[in-house]
Amino acid sequence: MSHSQESGGRRLDRRRFLTTAAVGGATIVGASALGGLDAEAAFADPMPSLDAAIPSAFAEGRIVAMNRNVLDVAGSHGERHLIQLTNATSIWKLRTTTAESIEVGDGLYARGAAMPDGTIAADAVWVNIVNVYVTIRGIAKDRLHLTHGSDELVGHIVPDTTTASYLGGALTADLSRTRIGQEAQVLGAWRPADGAIDIARVSLGH
Amino acid sequence: MHGSHLRPVSNAKGFDMACGSTSLWAGEATWFCCGNAWGSCGSAGTGACGTCQSAKNMAAWPNLSAACWDITRPDLCGENMPRRTCGAVMNVRHQCSGATVCVTLADCGPRTKSFCGEAACCNGACRTNRVIDLTPSAFTAIGSLSSGKLPVYIYE
Repeated sequence: MSHSQESGGRRLDRRRFLTTAAVGGATIVGASALGGLDAEAAFADPMPSLDAAIPSAFAEGRIVAMNRNVLDVAGSHGERHLIQLTNATSIWKLRTTTAESIEVGDGLYARGAAMPDGTIAADAVWVNIVNVYVTIRGIAKDRLHLTHGSDELVGHIVPDTTTASYLGGALTADLSRTRIGQEAQVLGAWRPADGAIDIARVSLGH
Repeated sequence: MHGSHLRPVSNAKGFDMACGSTSLWAGEATWFCCGNAWGSCGSAGTGACGTCQSAKNMAAWPNLSAACWDITRPDLCGENMPRRTCGAVMNVRHQCSGATVCVTLADCGPRTKSFCGEAACCNGACRTNRVIDLTPSAFTAIGSLSSGKLPVYIYE
């Protein structure tokens, strides 16, 4: 898997690019704005330790403030993170998107490089992403009613986005084979306002 | 992270354990959240071992205990992985990129039996059946959360 992109006739390492961009105070733009960056491929990049002087970092929590290209994140265990978005940051919020879709109150997981000033230069940020094991309790045209443990959830079916996989088969937009009582894995984006989930993919089991 | 063997980590009891290079299993890795959390993960708890946190490199194993096995039943999908208990460490390596993360077992899972035959593929090669669940920290070390699943080799 490649961790670099062609730029000006030479290979440009992605991690080096994002840390350089962070130091230089790059403005907020989605990775796709770079053109040469394949956002999906960038998400899949595992962020290896290419340079021991730049340790990798991970953060999770909820955004409590945003200041231009820096997200102020309160971790779930009381820690605090300042996450820098750069031109090289890939952003997911139900789908690959741009920084403009991020809001205060959103939850996130971020992967990146630890900067000397204590911030994290983000390589990838997954906003409000959840991946929960559920049982289907009800089916409507535009949503699934689910239970996750003892909690009830609403999973919204998003046109042109939600897909299903039946018994490990290929992804399809056809959700007509879902059945009440089925166990399923739902990957989607949590809605902070009401606790529901916009479904990206539902994997139906036995 | 890449190609590292015998990287020391702290286990649940606080002393160093080593992630090894002896092949243990292969299959599909998925991800889950645990510990204090936001969103739908808020009720997840700290897992069967009481130590699980999403921001640490941890994992759930289908044969963490007899009671765990009764829930996950990987044998129904042809997977008879050995018992490994809380605090055991494993190296999980992406089948194609070679990216590796050392994880500590902290929970029971995934529910292998519910998804028999499910595959995760890369470069035309697939691994079938859910055999390990990784925390977001561990999963993002070797792949993307939005993929939901990865083909992996597991070493100890």
